[in-house]
Amino acid sequence: MENTTLTASPKTLSKKPAGFFTKLVQQRALVLMSVPFLIWLFVFKYLPLWGWTIAFQKFKPAKGFFDQQWIGFEHFAFLFQDERFLRVLRNTLAMSTINLVLGFVTAIVLALLLNEVRHVYFKRVVQTVSYLPHFISWVVAASIVQTTLSPDGIINELLIWFGWVDKGNEILFLGIGEYFWGLFGASSVWKDVGWNTIVYLAAMTMIDPAQYEAAKMDGANRFQRIGYITLPGIKPVIIVLLIMQIGHLLEAGFEPQYLLGNGMNVDYSEVIDIFVLKYGIAQGNFSLSVAAGMFKTVVSFILLFAANYLAKRMGESRLF
Amino acid sequence: MKKWILCSFIFAMLFTACSNGNGNTEAPAANKNANAPSGETEEAPLEKVTFSYFNAAAAAKDVNTNETTIGKLLEDQTGVNFKIEHLVGDLNTKVGTMIASNEYPDVLIPDAAIDKVLDAGAFIALNDLIEEHGLNIKKVYGPYFEQMKAADGNIYFIPFSNVVGEYIPDPSIGQGAFWVQRRILEEAGYPKINKLDDYFKLIEDYMNKHKEEDLTGFMALTHDWRFFATSNPPMHLEGYPNDGGVIIDMNTFEAKTYAAADSTKRWLQKLNEINAKGMIDKASFVDNYDQYLAKMTSGKVLGFFDYGWQIGNATNNLRDAAKADPSKDGLRYFPLPVTFDGQKDQYLDPPGFVKNRGMGITVSAKDPVRIIQYFDNLLKEENQILRSWGIKGETYEVNENGRMYRTPEQIAKIDETFNETFGFKYYSWNWPQWGNGSSLSDGNAVQPGVQAEVFQMSLTDADKAILEKYGVKTYSELFAKPDDRPWFPAWAIPKEQGSPQQIFTTKSDEITKKYFPRLVLATPAEFEAVWAEYAGEMGKLDKEQYEQWTTEEVKKLIDLAKGN
Amino acid sequence: MATAATSSKPRKADRISSSREDQIFDICNYTFLVLLMVVTLYPFLNTAAISLNQANDTIRGGIYFWPRLFTLDNYAYVFKEASVFHATMISVLRSLIGTAVTVFCSAMVAYTITRQDYVLRKFVTLAFILTMYFNGGLIPNFLLIRELGMLGTFSVYIIPGLIGVFNLIIIRSFIDGLPESILESARIDGAGDFTTFIKIVLPLCVPVLATVALFTAVYQWNSWFDVFLYNSSHQKLSTLQYELQKILQNSNASLSARTASDAFANADNEAANSVTPMAVRATMTIVASVPIIIVYPFLQKYFVKGMMVGGVKG
Repeated sequence: MENTTLTASPKTLSKKPAGFFTKLVQQRALVLMSVPFLIWLFVFKYLPLWGWTIAFQKFKPAKGFFDQQWIGFEHFAFLFQDERFLRVLRNTLAMSTINLVLGFVTAIVLALLLNEVRHVYFKRVVQTVSYLPHFISWVVAASIVQTTLSPDGIINELLIWFGWVDKGNEILFLGIGEYFWGLFGASSVWKDVGWNTIVYLAAMTMIDPAQYEAAKMDGANRFQRIGYITLPGIKPVIIVLLIMQIGHLLEAGFEPQYLLGNGMNVDYSEVIDIFVLKYGIAQGNFSLSVAAGMFKTVVSFILLFAANYLAKRMGESRLF
Repeated sequence: MKKWILCSFIFAMLFTACSNGNGNTEAPAANKNANAPSGETEEAPLEKVTFSYFNAAAAAKDVNTNETTIGKLLEDQTGVNFKIEHLVGDLNTKVGTMIASNEYPDVLIPDAAIDKVLDAGAFIALNDLIEEHGLNIKKVYGPYFEQMKAADGNIYFIPFSNVVGEYIPDPSIGQGAFWVQRRILEEAGYPKINKLDDYFKLIEDYMNKHKEEDLTGFMALTHDWRFFATSNPPMHLEGYPNDGGVIIDMNTFEAKTYAAADSTKRWLQKLNEINAKGMIDKASFVDNYDQYLAKMTSGKVLGFFDYGWQIGNATNNLRDAAKADPSKDGLRYFPLPVTFDGQKDQYLDPPGFVKNRGMGITVSAKDPVRIIQYFDNLLKEENQILRSWGIKGETYEVNENGRMYRTPEQIAKIDETFNETFGFKYYSWNWPQWGNGSSLSDGNAVQPGVQAEVFQMSLTDADKAILEKYGVKTYSELFAKPDDRPWFPAWAIPKEQGSPQQIFTTKSDEITKKYFPRLVLATPAEFEAVWAEYAGEMGKLDKEQYEQWTTEEVKKLIDLAKGN
Repeated sequence: MATAATSSKPRKADRISSSREDQIFDICNYTFLVLLMVVTLYPFLNTAAISLNQANDTIRGGIYFWPRLFTLDNYAYVFKEASVFHATMISVLRSLIGTAVTVFCSAMVAYTITRQDYVLRKFVTLAFILTMYFNGGLIPNFLLIRELGMLGTFSVYIIPGLIGVFNLIIIRSFIDGLPESILESARIDGAGDFTTFIKIVLPLCVPVLATVALFTAVYQWNSWFDVFLYNSSHQKLSTLQYELQKILQNSNASLSARTASDAFANADNEAANSVTPMAVRATMTIVASVPIIIVYPFLQKYFVKGMMVGGVKG
């Protein structure tokens, strides 16, 4: 291997910036390690972006690219002028926010709790079992949720048993729109909390055990150790994941809402993707789907850069 | 992780039409001028050739047709084998990739994506091929040619639902009906029920007599796209067959939507009324299809409206239970021809011709002549017997009167695996054929299932007993004969993608799905107010253009039917 | 940090010194975790029970933890297709190769963007991150694969997903957390970047690499959409999940394809053990997930450790 890093400390170098190309040559090992993948990235991710052009066309699959009829922003107008679009936008934002907050909090809490378990065996069993629902498809999971929440399901049985609900007046959970967001959040947590925990557990392996020892010597209790050692230890990972996730705020999922949604809760369950499915894909209006996708990308970028900037201002680790 | 799949939904169809050459990339060694005579005299055996066949309309194991008994015999006749691939994922995605790359299988059944395929010019015109090689095709499809023609006068694909010979109706109820448990009819002394009020009265009386049993009077199927099982009844209750979202007047042939009409109001008000009496299963409006079927098999639900083809799993389960324990026969369901005021019902489908589905030969096809010859050969009467009845002595018998039947042993032998290896599974549909309800030249049914001899064998003693009480031999005899409706089914009239008609249907469905549960579950006092709100929402839609469009299309079809 | 290795065994002695407060915490914690296990185990048990119950009986509902009428017919139905076995092999192959390649490449790029002085660092980082938020669409992607001649090849399972941005970022965070001193000492020793990456960074990153490997392997194992899109007419390249999808769809269609009375004409519908989509779906869930669950502990040991063992070995 070539000796690329002639300077032991990179910081000394930054004083007098060498020419860009000089440095590039100096760092040719790094270049070789990343630029081929940059080309890969360009080919597989950026090149297909030409497909966005059809958002501005009255697209007919049978016609060639140059024969398409160009119509400007008509499809975007259709999206934003529909009164329901605001509603599905609200639902999407609400559910993805719930998912974001609940998802992060529960996964982190579970990771912390698991970290406090000293029986390695028990810990591994709990961790394994908790991630099992991740492998159940939403079709199966939604069916289990529906059975559980039905009037003769276990939840209503429990409520009756506790005397909070009278027999014959069982709650039709999925028939009450206002409950939907909560039910969605709970189902998502149930399905993915174990899986989401994994990355935090991995991050915790980085924490120097000596810190815990020292804290113990100083008489720190469990909560103090969690608060002063474990949490700060995984904070960079949390922040980075959070920023990434904020960029995805318009992606609230699609399957659970579609599968658990029905006529009675549609005002709360319908998300952008379902709307696009109904009026775009199902109608053969592919341009509309692409327009919606572009809208989401624009919003994602704004959110992403804002979140990243905020993290920078707050002196936290950043995504880029 | 799931992003990839999700994205496919969101972006799903980024079609492109940048044609990449003319797609005929794999010019095969197949003999292009194979000039097979369509007669039986074939001197030199034809060079064997395999064509690819993509079927988006059905699901089965992918096979080569010559691996099945039927397909092997047909290969012996024609030298042609088809490699069948079935659609597994999303239809539009798959067809989209074909269009985008302009590479198709030789033969394609695009199911609901047929308009896209036609739009892309993927099918070749069959007129000349049929003229030259399609003696049997002309015989079988001749009466439908006018309806099969596209706007440019060409025939691009061959539909499946034609009828040859005398029409033999399906003896059992695959179509809509109001169903009721047999024990109720027994207890009431097998009354003739044909009015909606009587139907619910019957159920109510039974419920009142058996209060301790914790019974449910009526339930509805509302899950996802199956919602039509709850929104269609007004049409049937008025005495019309399933034309989808419209009722077509038999005198003026005007199409009228009924989702916000008096008939729907009457239907929902009735449901509202029985809900007030505690007869409706409220969870109906949130249950999924599996839960619905589970309730049906529980024996606790006294009645429901649905289409027979949707409830097969549950009714089979009940039938098997009754076979094991005859006392459970009362829990099985019996179909009733219920209308609002006892007017003539039209539950049974008239012979219809679904012309927006079919099979075409694509521009990528290597040797269209051999394919059309295969189709033509398949349409011979003896091959139609082969593909649907099988081989005499093996899968069917003929009695002294020339009637075809199956022995109980043969019926028992023909299970899922047999269907696959013999090929019934691959030839029962999705080929040019003598469609459902067709009869052979000697009067036998083309489909074994509708052959009276076969149907009678399928009945249990209890079945026969209850049918006898109503003085009929088959279930369909309980219902009125279908009137002639040349446009039927109106729901199969193709709507252009993204057209006002399509948007109207989507929006109308959306509103009904949202309001029907509210209308049924409201207190009777609130009903009018909710109805007014619902009617207001529906009123915002431009139903006139939809009705006008449908009327025009229906009239076109009537003219076509008159034309020949 | 290098000292961490000294305490490489869990210290049972800790438990003796736990305070009363600690014990209460432990009791609550353990109780909660046991409850969580019950709730998260249920869907799996339920699915397993349905897969072992007679399909026609399952329609009646009411199957919770145990099958009511035990049968292996649903499994027989799934495994009667010989193609399943070959497809399983392909799935194993793509999981192994795909995971190895992806993990290595992602880690390599991740390393380069942790080098603060790397001139292309910002550019590379942003170029990768942005791709998480857009997609050119299905058809352009399809055409690309086609133009590259990758249709009907195994490479289509590996190359397009070469680097997962999520994984890249996770690995980067991890490397960022490594003590600068280790990396620096390597450089003083005159090791080049590639050598540092292979000899120092990779071994230190085992926990996060195990995590990323798990994510990738599960993704690879469960994929069927790329098979559907690119290789559906190449039976030899079919994967387990795709074959299972086929079987599911097959069971779905068995009834609707025929008219109601057609079914009477053969035994197809008479058999009480005929499959239903519900039963097949449950069976395929189990068939597809059991291998992952079996493999899991081998990866798990890298990221679930006793609290006191967790340190990075220097």
